[in-house]
Amino acid sequence: MIDGLSALFALMVFPGFGFLFVCALAFQWIDRWAVARLQGRIGPPWFQPLADFVKLMAKEDTLPTGAHELACAVLPVVSLAAVLTASLYIPVAGRAVSAFEGDLIVVLFLLSIPALTYFLAGWFSVGVYSIIGGNRSLLQYFAYEVPFLMALTSPAILSGSWSISHIAVQQSQTVWMVLVQPLGFLLAVVGLIGKLKRPPFDIPKAKSEVVAGPLTEFSGRKLALWHLTLDIQMVIGIFLVVNVFLGGSSPGTIYPVSSLGAIPAAMAFGAKALVVLLLLSVSSVLYARLRIDQLANIGWRVLAPLALAQILATILIGAG
Amino acid sequence: MLKEPLSFLLTVEGERVVDSVLRLGYVHRGLERLCQERNYVQNLHLVERVCGICSHIHTTTYCQGVEALLGLEVPLRALYLRALLCELERIHSHLLWLGVLAENAGFTTIFMYAWRDREIALDIMDELSGGRVAHAVNILGGVRIDVGEASVASSLMRLDELERRIEVFLGVIQHERTFRARTRNVGHLSAEQVRRYCVVGPVARASGADVDVRRDAPYAAYDRLRFKVITSNEGDVWARALVRTLEAVESVHLCRQLLTELPDGPLSVRAPRRVPPGEVVSRGEAPRGELVYYIRSDGSDKPARIKIRTPTLATLITLPDQLRGVNTADVPVVLAGVDLCISCADR
Repeated sequence: MIDGLSALFALMVFPGFGFLFVCALAFQWIDRWAVARLQGRIGPPWFQPLADFVKLMAKEDTLPTGAHELACAVLPVVSLAAVLTASLYIPVAGRAVSAFEGDLIVVLFLLSIPALTYFLAGWFSVGVYSIIGGNRSLLQYFAYEVPFLMALTSPAILSGSWSISHIAVQQSQTVWMVLVQPLGFLLAVVGLIGKLKRPPFDIPKAKSEVVAGPLTEFSGRKLALWHLTLDIQMVIGIFLVVNVFLGGSSPGTIYPVSSLGAIPAAMAFGAKALVVLLLLSVSSVLYARLRIDQLANIGWRVLAPLALAQILATILIGAG
Repeated sequence: MLKEPLSFLLTVEGERVVDSVLRLGYVHRGLERLCQERNYVQNLHLVERVCGICSHIHTTTYCQGVEALLGLEVPLRALYLRALLCELERIHSHLLWLGVLAENAGFTTIFMYAWRDREIALDIMDELSGGRVAHAVNILGGVRIDVGEASVASSLMRLDELERRIEVFLGVIQHERTFRARTRNVGHLSAEQVRRYCVVGPVARASGADVDVRRDAPYAAYDRLRFKVITSNEGDVWARALVRTLEAVESVHLCRQLLTELPDGPLSVRAPRRVPPGEVVSRGEAPRGELVYYIRSDGSDKPARIKIRTPTLATLITLPDQLRGVNTADVPVVLAGVDLCISCADR
């Protein structure tokens, strides 16, 4: 009974849905505030993401004639479910809902489901912009996913474990992965930018070219769920990078995490997540948007070979 | 991205544009016809509203034409002030355009910075004329405003700041890799195409055509000023960005000359209401290129015909050529590259 209650608490409140929902809104606001300040603007008030969500939930939900109604209703829910399931295995401040050997692979697999549902959303909500955006999102997926996966595999090889929780704890006893594999960290962040479809990789939803890409025809509750999915994807993407490269919740390089109190662990974890978030915000204002063929070029000619080189270096040097 | 109505029907194959059909006329207000029913003074108000961004050059070119029909000699101080507002308007237009191009290429940061810095030019125009965008400075026979010592000093200070900020954009255009990646070799026009389509303005100058009405047929005070005509040989959107930004720098230099060399004298001469019969062609260099006014009078106080050939109309024609074979992602960049002013084109 108590097990059931604590499991329910972990799933619904912390570090589950409730916490992720609040984090999604908070991270979105920090990102919008940082981008605004960098662009010489002021930024929205703190409750703007919440207000946007509530407004969308109350708006009329329409789809164009010819759209596949059932698919369009199911896709945002499937996407959100995949992302929340992935969050089960990502430790927050040292605490994950569940962990097992190999959960890194499961998380990466679950995190690639939103890319597929994004494309399907464009496909099923028939509309010129939706379909063009969907096609671009698939092309983009292939360009960033391979370097992203390879970049996240190297720390696993180095620490000899395929469990995220284990990789995070390991770093508190040795060194942060980012110091050993700075290239992998950079590639993981670039891959994350592509995954989250943030500028300069916001090609599928380029406002000046395809209105809103695959989500053009969505509105109301469905769109609210889509935005929530994308925001929570950002949160757990950042958490994943923090756990795998920045040592999870350990505040120093050689400091056993088990002897940390809960509050310092949470603060360390939060600070690192904020740093990665600000890295994402700054990178989104620095560049013009790339074209899809330019992104495919960079993905396959630059990122993938670098990630491959990183893995080879890890295997050769790590084994020696 | 500017909220002006224009319809493009694009035929695409995947990401490539195969063909395009252009539709205009959504903001056709029949201004040329309306001008025939109002007298020359009332038409000043109408003609200023052909375009929002280049309102001053429209009234300048119109006034020049009517003053030529009347045989008036506009005082030198008025000519200098007219040219001053023309150049300030050019800076404002080019900075606005740079922001639009950046936004269409996904570079929102430059859009925000360019439109913030354009406020400096708007502030100068506001202080000098009382209006940020619609200045209503010209009257038949001269100008309505005067510029005092304090305004000259504060404007010069603001111009220094403006020049510093425009240098930043120059750096971005010349060195920023993603901006170059989006604008290089996009929307290419050869010198031959420019000649064939009679393209004018920065689009023509970016393809090597050395044309500028300010130098070729000087009006206002331009025969007494020293400035460079900026050209480039590349012919793509990047070249147009470079040409326009360098032109903005030249305009700052011109404004400094105009403010520091402002001659004393009256601001206007009295213009009679009735215009003797005749016809005149008046030209000016709007931010987007050569603006032509043909005015025919029949001896009354209302014009018999005013025909306006705006520069956008000349550059629009090249768009189907530019868009053939281009990526869908390049379409907004190409459209922004020709600096369309649809209200000018439609009148």
